[in-house]
Amino acid sequence: MLTLVINDLSKDYGRTHALRHVNLTIEEGEVFGYLGPNGAGKTTTLRIALGLVHPTSGSVEVLGNSPFVLSSRVDIGYLPGELNLYGNLTAGALLDYFAGFRPHHPPFLRKTLFEVLSVDESDLLRRVKFLSHGTKQKLGLIIAMQHDPKLLLLDEPTNGLDPLVQKSLREFLKERAQLGRTVFFSSHVLSEVELLCRRVAILRAGKLVAVESIENLRRKMVRQLRIRFRGSVPGNIAQQESVVHSEIVGNEIRLLIRGDINPLLKLLGQTDIEHIVFPEPELEDIFLTYYHSRNEGGIA
Amino acid sequence: MRNILKRLTSRHWLFITVSGCLLAGFEFLLCAMVSTVDIVGAFSELTKTFPLFLRTLIEQQLFGVMSTAGILAFGWNHPITLALGTAIAIVLASRTVAGEIESGTLELIMSQPISRREYLTGHIIFAFFSLSFISLLGAGGTLLGQYVYDFQAFRVPSLFQLIVNYCLLNAAWYGITLLISVYGREAGRVATIGFLLALISYFLNVIGQLWDKAGFLLPYSLHTYYSPKQILVENIFPTLNLTLLSILTIITISAAYWKFLRRDLP
Repeated sequence: MLTLVINDLSKDYGRTHALRHVNLTIEEGEVFGYLGPNGAGKTTTLRIALGLVHPTSGSVEVLGNSPFVLSSRVDIGYLPGELNLYGNLTAGALLDYFAGFRPHHPPFLRKTLFEVLSVDESDLLRRVKFLSHGTKQKLGLIIAMQHDPKLLLLDEPTNGLDPLVQKSLREFLKERAQLGRTVFFSSHVLSEVELLCRRVAILRAGKLVAVESIENLRRKMVRQLRIRFRGSVPGNIAQQESVVHSEIVGNEIRLLIRGDINPLLKLLGQTDIEHIVFPEPELEDIFLTYYHSRNEGGIA
Repeated sequence: MRNILKRLTSRHWLFITVSGCLLAGFEFLLCAMVSTVDIVGAFSELTKTFPLFLRTLIEQQLFGVMSTAGILAFGWNHPITLALGTAIAIVLASRTVAGEIESGTLELIMSQPISRREYLTGHIIFAFFSLSFISLLGAGGTLLGQYVYDFQAFRVPSLFQLIVNYCLLNAAWYGITLLISVYGREAGRVATIGFLLALISYFLNVIGQLWDKAGFLLPYSLHTYYSPKQILVENIFPTLNLTLLSILTIITISAAYWKFLRRDLP
């Protein structure tokens, strides 16, 4: 069953094209990553899916209904990217207030979430405005998940969470997905999407660059490698099969590589290297991947 | 909607109750004043020293009938009385949409299973309840004052008509500000526009009453359609005023619904 169907979705704000002809389908039980830099249109997509923003053209179906049908919103949990809560309420009153919108869906996951997110229950008696940024983010996550929604729309959910809590949240989300819950995970951090999601859509400037499985993405991803040699740069390095692009400046070579890098590493083992930098892939590397694919003849 | 009403009550009850008590206290003090000091006599003596045109102007326009009822009616038209009701109407309306957008909370609220219509209706019900509540407290102040100081300037039915008129004036300000609020994003800016409009309306009314040549301005002031003197002193039921204020309230609130159901949030 399809939980979220986005069909030729476009949204303009005046002359700005926030989204252009986006098509996506997300299945029940899937943990789907929605990757893009800030301002790419991720939040606009989520807001359209919640009926907060009206699309310029195209349509969205959430749990089989239009986003404006209230009954399906009962089964959605949403965490906004810019979370703002009522500061004068205590944390406990705030959670009760949001639970009150679903009188027939008791917040039975609340206690579990306290453990998953390491929430100190004494914080529940404190006013929200006096809590730390991380604790507020945890409250936002509890509001989104305490009623065990069928579809979770999370916009940058790990903002302000420490690495241990991030890990525990990822495990919890995977467990929920195994129980048939769908997670739509919007982020600009590639590494966290890689750790959690099975499929990922990549958005840039309102356009979908690609929709891929994580395995395919890893396989296709162009990565950067910078090497400084003690002597001159050996001529045969740029000819290796895995090298997509090379640039030599003095004793240094900058490579864009893809696929199996073992032959290249063996070759480098025979040279005199002064310094080597092989950074963690970032979002920009993905865009690089698809731009190279296009130059080679269409999206890979 | 119950959830919204509960939240609004816990957020605003102090502000509404204190404002209502201030209004009640003010009306009660006026009763105390007219019963313990011969204000009418004192005022008549005082105005004898004024030039004729000024005396006529003040007597006709401000106090109308120089009587206890006339002075109490003036109390219900006093800037403090008007400001209290208008302030509540404008503050509540500006916070309804623009305020929630400004604080960033509307996005999370509207992602819950509550329709925009329900959300706005909850806020409007609360505002009307609040405006009625402070009007009743104010009327209570006048009644208590009459009881404690043992005089009866006017009866309960007249006072009831007055609070209907007072409520409708403030409801109209609420409707106007709500309409600005559904287009806005900042509560402060929306409230400022609301207060400026109320201030302009008040001055148009005062100028129109004090200066004959500016009389043409009167229909353009909402305060013209609020007439404590007519109700309490002349015992005339202001059907036209109430109808006009009701129509304006309905039009502005309907327009606010129309826009809120269609706008992008936040």
